[in-house]
Amino acid sequence: MTPGAPRNRHGIFILFRHLRVPLVVLILVYAVVVLGFTLVPGVDPAGQPWRMSFLHAFYFVSFLGTTIGLGEIPHPFSDAQRLWATASIYATVMAWLYAVGAMFAVIRDPMFRRVVREERFERAVRRLHNPFYLLCGFDDSGQRIARELAQDGVGLVVIDIEPDRVDEVDLGELQVAVPALVADAGDPMSLQRAGLTHPLCAGVLALTGSDAVNTKIALTARMLSPALRVLCAARNHAWQARMAAAGADHIINPFDTFAERVALSIRTPSLHVIYEALTAQAGTPMDEPPRFPPGRWILCGSDLFVRALRRQLTMLDIQSTLVDSVGSVGPDAADLVSGDPTDTHVLRQAGIDKAAVLVAGTAVDIDNLTITLAARAGNKQLFIVARQMQRRNSAVFRASPADLVTVSSYVLSAEVLRHIRAPSLSYFLSRSRDEGEDWACELLQRLRELVGDEVLESWSVRVATAASPTLCVALRAGEAVTLDRLMTRTDGTDNRVRALPLLLQRGHERQLLPPIDTLLALDDEVLFCGTDSARSIMRNTVVAHELAAAAVAPSP
Amino acid sequence: MSPERVLFAFVIVLALTLNAGYSVGEIANPDHHNVYELYAAIVVNLIATVMKFGDRSPLGSTMLATSLVADVQLLAAAAAWGYFGSLADPIGAHGMVTVVSLSIGALVANVVSVVLLVIETANLRR
Repeated sequence: MTPGAPRNRHGIFILFRHLRVPLVVLILVYAVVVLGFTLVPGVDPAGQPWRMSFLHAFYFVSFLGTTIGLGEIPHPFSDAQRLWATASIYATVMAWLYAVGAMFAVIRDPMFRRVVREERFERAVRRLHNPFYLLCGFDDSGQRIARELAQDGVGLVVIDIEPDRVDEVDLGELQVAVPALVADAGDPMSLQRAGLTHPLCAGVLALTGSDAVNTKIALTARMLSPALRVLCAARNHAWQARMAAAGADHIINPFDTFAERVALSIRTPSLHVIYEALTAQAGTPMDEPPRFPPGRWILCGSDLFVRALRRQLTMLDIQSTLVDSVGSVGPDAADLVSGDPTDTHVLRQAGIDKAAVLVAGTAVDIDNLTITLAARAGNKQLFIVARQMQRRNSAVFRASPADLVTVSSYVLSAEVLRHIRAPSLSYFLSRSRDEGEDWACELLQRLRELVGDEVLESWSVRVATAASPTLCVALRAGEAVTLDRLMTRTDGTDNRVRALPLLLQRGHERQLLPPIDTLLALDDEVLFCGTDSARSIMRNTVVAHELAAAAVAPSP
Repeated sequence: MSPERVLFAFVIVLALTLNAGYSVGEIANPDHHNVYELYAAIVVNLIATVMKFGDRSPLGSTMLATSLVADVQLLAAAAAWGYFGSLADPIGAHGMVTVVSLSIGALVANVVSVVLLVIETANLRR
């Protein structure tokens, strides 16, 4: 077979190919037995010599071979016929057992089952008729993203190299049917089969545990379907540059993200509250952020998580001591204690009694839990941050003395969801970082008055023909439409909904916190935040305006 | 020369020859058409079909299709014989013509099948 020729992997053909020998045996046995019955002499009730026709012979053998055994039909048999019938019973039953046994062996064969599963997967992908995201990697963060996107009604296709994790797609009770494939996401063929070049593919989420594979996914997506949005997870900075060069639209580093959040909460606490409230997954009210007490930090661990944190702390001029069991002595060896951080002596050596914050940031959950216990014993006032690796350990971490538990997969999934749900939100958040604490504090005050204890949601509204036709008609007619009109209820009370415009995007220009008397223009996009009811009211409003306009002046 | 290829070609050609042997003769005359020959043709055709399932050659799918056509035609011929034979004994002229014309149809499919086999074998020589 030439390498380029299409492979004959249709399940039914594979089944028959493996069943060739049993089928030929079955046909031959039947052929001989039927032929025998037409030749063996019999006697009819009148005493005349009689032979079975092919019809009767086939009929008789059919119920003989399948052990139904209706009796000697049409006439009682002669001794010769009974002799042949006895031989036939053994031959046909054996042939059937052999054929059925072989069939079950093929059906239970892992290779065959894989082919059938892949075939079903490809069919499911071909039949997708809503925009979908291609999710590569179905670990904790992937599962969380899948759950949230499924709740939003967004389609998904999942690829993972681990069969156990792919099983989770079925077990996880997602609200939409999600085709899932066990395959290497770094293989362009697998990506294509998973719908990379499907016209409805909205984007690729490269969230495998390996930076190299994620880079390859980004590269493949860029080459094969350049219009796709590609989100990449990265852990190592060295790969981030390669991912950017490969054409990833967003690169998310969960370690950096967490470290930046920590820095943000120290530098501008109010902004951190807004940030958390806006990026939290559905259904979290605005909480007081963790307040890190001022003082020296102790960082336990040896990987990138701790290093990212240390970099941010250094930028904030906060002193930190690194406790590292691997003993990778860096240039700043002055603040480094080499030793096992689960050991109380080592922690004391690192100065736990005078430290303000301790981060248990090793890559092993048990170690981190042990560190929190040892640290609490060493210093009652200490603020303890614990890093959790596996979701299943959540209950233990909640019971541990840690004041703050961070889950990298959670951080990653929250970032990815933010990019998917509200791309302009990420711009708003990065712009607001440049503003000072006073600005953030004032904004937080306004949000608190607006939303109270309810959950803060964000959404964007686009002044485009498809989304809000009447507004567009009004704008084209030269009417002045302000932001206020978008935010006004149409039920006659003219009350304003509980929402706040965060960002107005017009072409390449973006305005932070636009005043509500801003005049709208065509193709403006406005990012709002507010209560969930405000969101649904505003969605309806855009349509209701249209209905009202249609009632007043029937469109030509 | 592999025994497997010999057997493969043998079965396919035998399917054609048995089919031809049955079909030849005066079309309406039951004496010219032996029922055992039709039976043998059906059995050999079925075996040829099963053997073609495993054929991975580029022409394999077309060969399988021709074989399936021959099967359908021959089984229809056998069913027609059973039906018309039960209406009148010996079988009537119309019944016999139906049976034989169906088997001639199968013969055409079998000819195509053998032609494909020859083409494929010729290609192998390159």
